[in-house]
Amino acid sequence: MRPVRRAAFVAIIVVAGGLALTGGAPAWAQASSSPATQTPPAPASKAPTPEVPTIPPGTAAAVLTKNKAQAILGQPIVSTKGENMGRIVDVIVDKQGTPRAAIIDFGGFLGVGSRKIAVDWGALNFSPTGKSERITLDLTRDQLKSAPEYEKGKPVVVVEAKGKTQPMPSGEYPLDE
Amino acid sequence: MHAYDKRELTVHDRPPLSSSSRSQRGLDGFNFFIANVQTGFGPFIAVYLTAQAWTQIDIGFVLTVSAITALAFQVPAGILVDAAAHKRTVGALAAAAIAVSALILAASPIFPLVLGAEVLHGLASCLMTPAIAAISLGLVAPHEVGERLGRNARYASAGNGIAAVLMGAFGWLFSNRAVFLLTAALALPALVALFRIRRSEIDPERSRGGPVDKSERRSPLHGIVDNRPLLVFGAGMVLFSLANTPMLPLAGGIMTMRSSQWATVLIAACIVVPQICAAIISPWIGRQSEIWGRRPLLILGFAALPIRGILFAVLASPYAFVAVQVLDGVSAAVLGVMLPLIVADVMHGTGRYNAALGTVAFAAAIGASLSTALAGYIQDRWGYAAAFLSLAGVALAGFGLMMLFMPETRPMES
Repeated sequence: MRPVRRAAFVAIIVVAGGLALTGGAPAWAQASSSPATQTPPAPASKAPTPEVPTIPPGTAAAVLTKNKAQAILGQPIVSTKGENMGRIVDVIVDKQGTPRAAIIDFGGFLGVGSRKIAVDWGALNFSPTGKSERITLDLTRDQLKSAPEYEKGKPVVVVEAKGKTQPMPSGEYPLDE
Repeated sequence: MHAYDKRELTVHDRPPLSSSSRSQRGLDGFNFFIANVQTGFGPFIAVYLTAQAWTQIDIGFVLTVSAITALAFQVPAGILVDAAAHKRTVGALAAAAIAVSALILAASPIFPLVLGAEVLHGLASCLMTPAIAAISLGLVAPHEVGERLGRNARYASAGNGIAAVLMGAFGWLFSNRAVFLLTAALALPALVALFRIRRSEIDPERSRGGPVDKSERRSPLHGIVDNRPLLVFGAGMVLFSLANTPMLPLAGGIMTMRSSQWATVLIAACIVVPQICAAIISPWIGRQSEIWGRRPLLILGFAALPIRGILFAVLASPYAFVAVQVLDGVSAAVLGVMLPLIVADVMHGTGRYNAALGTVAFAAAIGASLSTALAGYIQDRWGYAAAFLSLAGVALAGFGLMMLFMPETRPMES
């Protein structure tokens, strides 16, 4: 039985078209062979990368191109106003494996004064097909500044786009060890 | 104090070395560029690895291993520097090793290499501090040591402050990786400056605080653990770093909370302001230490810390925090000069200066590593004000210890 944490990454992080985006995420690259992906294979004519790894016969596989999916761990987030909102460092999923919140490392200078804050998954906008690969968040720095810090093993306070915060009861906390 | 009278006798035994201004400026430059190089390490590593899609668990593990290395190697590094014939070579090797670890971090942020780079950096840093202090002591006459160490602190602070601005700009304009390339590149001028120091002008005996102790039965720590002024000073340093280390990160956390527009700029100012302040006053502190003695300045430095803690606890405006950081500059300047100077005073004639310096640094590092967890716990349970006031209490204990038990260590004038 794999750890829940690991499964969470496998379910949501899909690396497509090689490691061109991150340049060096070794461990999670294997996640792309997971059969849990729902996106259908891209038509071969549109796919810019013909380098599809060979898979043993009988194993279900899906190929995701760069403009269909993206890796998100360590990716920078900007607000709709274009403010720097930090980077994604973790993802919170519920018991069904549905993403509920992203943990972002927010604020600070040269690593001093930054905090980890949970933001509502629905407030994130991914645009892998757009011209920019930027992930935007429907929240501003002002709305995040007083949010409580995310701490492991405690109820996660998720900041929602409407501006109100919603505590996730500790019983539902998915990553309790 | 009477115990140190014998130092002046040895001073007059041998004529003071007149080291050239070329060597002096070389040491200035080495202090400046090494401070540049060291700024890239520290909390910024976590930001860099986060951007490289590292998990927080892996980042935490690497940082813990790095902290343990830096802790465990302090005393052995001091003993090693005492034994080394050429302190300049030790400084050059340490600088090169730090540059290599920065290059590894920039080139290939994969787990085993990053772990190796951090361990290498920890070992090199442990050698660097005693190597610089040893070169300084070996380069000047005993009555000029205070002034020389004041110059060291000036250039190190200027280097830290300028590098923080430069690296912040590099990370913003280019990439986090560019910061480590810059870090590695800055080791080159450091080495050029180091080799401007004439090796013949570094007196090996002075640089370890006396002749090598030939009696083999004595342990390398003989004369350290039974040296009362050194123990009092070391205990003071533990309390100081216990109270000092978490203050800026805590203040940074508050600033991120209270100001959204200016938080980044304000935190940057809180890092740079004390360095500017220390760069300005350090040479004065070095000179005054030879006129007033060490004790009044040491007490000034220890007094600034509890006041700073109380001000952080009661002030609300993040802008006021920047002004409070002037106090950080005062204590940083005082301790930057007094740590190598007082250890030189109390270890004079033993030949174990760097081992003693490493021991005090080890004690301070233990205080620092315990402090962040302690302050984080108090902040979590009772809030920021309680955390700052607790730290102020610890700082006050350090101040009291210095007031009551720390003797004047300046050698008596004959």
